[in-house]
Amino acid sequence: MRPDSNHYYPGTLGNQPIAVQFHAGSHYVALRLLEGYLPKDKIKLVNYGSPEQRFEAMMNGDVEAAAVMEPWIALGEKLGCRAVCEGHYLGAESASDDMDPETFQALNRAVANAVDMINADKKKYLHYLIYDPRMAKALAKYGGLTPDDFHLPRLRYTYNTNYTDEIVEDTYHWMNGWGLISDSACAADLVDNRLAEPTAANDEGCPR
Amino acid sequence: MKKVTSEISGTVFSLPWLVAKDNGLFEAEGIEIEFVRAAGGRPAQVTENPEDINPILGHVAFEEGRVSIYRA
Repeated sequence: MRPDSNHYYPGTLGNQPIAVQFHAGSHYVALRLLEGYLPKDKIKLVNYGSPEQRFEAMMNGDVEAAAVMEPWIALGEKLGCRAVCEGHYLGAESASDDMDPETFQALNRAVANAVDMINADKKKYLHYLIYDPRMAKALAKYGGLTPDDFHLPRLRYTYNTNYTDEIVEDTYHWMNGWGLISDSACAADLVDNRLAEPTAANDEGCPR
Repeated sequence: MKKVTSEISGTVFSLPWLVAKDNGLFEAEGIEIEFVRAAGGRPAQVTENPEDINPILGHVAFEEGRVSIYRA
């Protein structure tokens, strides 16, 4: 929320435009957060695209709120903006059909070691966020960020694990409830864990 | 060294990959990693209808087979 906003919690955001990127984390987490406070038909999400475009739409007053991730949260809070709700979501690694399991597992080992390094000293790696080329224009406009501007517990990194069938099915049904996925799609078709579990065979029917 | 090309999108999501590359962790696994930035710079398409937006978003390089892994 902008510093001059009259909104202090999600329940007053009914029918107010909120900037997201459709079909991305900001879209889904915004729905998941707002549906706890508002009826579906009062949630008004508007696609604005990139985090910068969403942030600018909020700052310009084109929308009442924006869903963003770090380092945009840190920049907003530095400018006096406030979060009315926060949520976390799982990331996904998507590999092409021709990637062999050994390579995928080697990649995961390297990334897991990096996760350990980051978690041992998050501040040490904030320069990747602060000097992200995609932040340059905004930082020039709004002023820079320093490591002290970040709330480090927001940065959550853990080892890659498979999506469980339960998570896939729960997510499928949730997306279906919002009309974001076709009825004809099958949850078991959407996530293929064969790289991490090369012996697993999923021949189950489509859960409904 | 096995060469792998990975898409990098939001830095906050790819941070472990960036740290792994800069600290030689991929090399230690016998992998030469190359990063390709997700397609960006598109003008804002303002719409309230999710069906107006192509869900591929910036993951064009993956769709075109120029990278073999990406995260979102």
